[in-house]
Amino acid sequence: MRAIDHHAWTNRWRCWHPAEKLLPASGLLVLTLILPPLTTAPLVLAGMALATVRGAGVPLPTLLSVLAAPTAFLLAGIPFLAVSVDFTHGFALLPSQDGLRLALTMTIRALAAMSCLAFLILTTPVTDWVASLRRVGVPSGVVELSLLTYRLIFVFVERALTGHQAQAARLGYSRVDRSVRSLGLLAGNLFQRSLAQAHRLEIGLAARGYTGELRVLTPKRVLSRMRLVVGLGLVGLVGTAGSLLARGLS
Amino acid sequence: MHIAEGFLPPLHAAAWTAVSLPFVIVSAWRVNRLMRDQPQIKLLLAASGAFAFVISALKLPSVTGSCSHATGTGLGAILFGPSVMALLGTIVLLFQTLLLAHGGITTLGANVISMAIVGPWVAYGLLRGARWLNAPLAVSVFLAAMLGDLATYTVTASQLALAFPDPASGFLGSFVKFLGVFAPTQLPLAVIEGLLTVVIVNFLREYSGDELKILQFPLNTLATEVRS
Repeated sequence: MRAIDHHAWTNRWRCWHPAEKLLPASGLLVLTLILPPLTTAPLVLAGMALATVRGAGVPLPTLLSVLAAPTAFLLAGIPFLAVSVDFTHGFALLPSQDGLRLALTMTIRALAAMSCLAFLILTTPVTDWVASLRRVGVPSGVVELSLLTYRLIFVFVERALTGHQAQAARLGYSRVDRSVRSLGLLAGNLFQRSLAQAHRLEIGLAARGYTGELRVLTPKRVLSRMRLVVGLGLVGLVGTAGSLLARGLS
Repeated sequence: MHIAEGFLPPLHAAAWTAVSLPFVIVSAWRVNRLMRDQPQIKLLLAASGAFAFVISALKLPSVTGSCSHATGTGLGAILFGPSVMALLGTIVLLFQTLLLAHGGITTLGANVISMAIVGPWVAYGLLRGARWLNAPLAVSVFLAAMLGDLATYTVTASQLALAFPDPASGFLGSFVKFLGVFAPTQLPLAVIEGLLTVVIVNFLREYSGDELKILQFPLNTLATEVRS
């Protein structure tokens, strides 16, 4: 989590307008979902990986670790797409041709889609996304709530890790029953301290004239037409190449 | 259990998003009004959202050896009520996507349905029902958290089954398949989450009576017990 946030704030493309990154990534994501995945998805995966690693300068291991996040989900779900259940003769599990094909296309499609998501979250800090929510029409109160939540997440993670370490050092996680108890105490304690923190923030803000609106400076990002065009061009290129290849193969 | 990015066909992703939107909008509207009336509640909600995120990122002790996480849906519903949870849960799910790469943007709607809407409502309903039947608080909380978790998992399985019906036996076969494949991790997880929530609620009732009273929207059952 820290790695993702760290690279989002320090990569080479951080100062770009979020739309310049959102346009190609969401375009490719849509292509991945609607075009035949066997030909399009590898192109999307390659394009997004290149953009992330060569363009934005995010180290490859970080990208790979982000791509690996849903692996557990895929590993559990994919094999079961390949087999089919038959109730007509009792209960039987049969591997099927269609199922195998589906499993293969889903794996590659999910990986390509993950690469689009990885590109977005590794190149743009969360605050940029949240700030642009306001422009979509989300009430400013809710946007502020999200920004405050974002800030507090890091405060609480720090606390949770310290508490966890202290408990682990006192053998709090040596058995399953102890782990449940320790985790419960940790979470309860964290909740109590979260509320105390909120209360302190409230007092601090009230002392500074807080009336329900937090004013923050949002850095001005200039939208570059050229980058938008290049992004669109990439999407168009991958789209045509993917569909032409698919037609050629079939 | 988050549905990964790109796993749902575009039509399904759009449909789940459309179904989840009204709930989230109503919740956002209510929370927004709540925050306008009492500005300090914004900080409380932000702290609660961050807390829910951290809880969901905690690794649970797992019986089967696989690494699993709590959902926190039950606890959230018990503490803040399901109508607030729809918005808080959506914010938490969004941050899980952006900070942990769990879930996805196209699958956000589907995940919101299972984790921020159905799970909390089931947990809340069960807690209410169990309290109404005069069940002991620990039992009610355990049932609410465990079955809320299971409801989340059942909804996810049916979303996957709708997206990938079995070629031979259709939706039902696929549903059984997905329920079965995630059961070994999800069933023990639900029990552990139930136990964990009981420990948390007990701790809070013992040491945080005042804080529980600040939360005005949550269950009065908890608050009254603290007072007595």
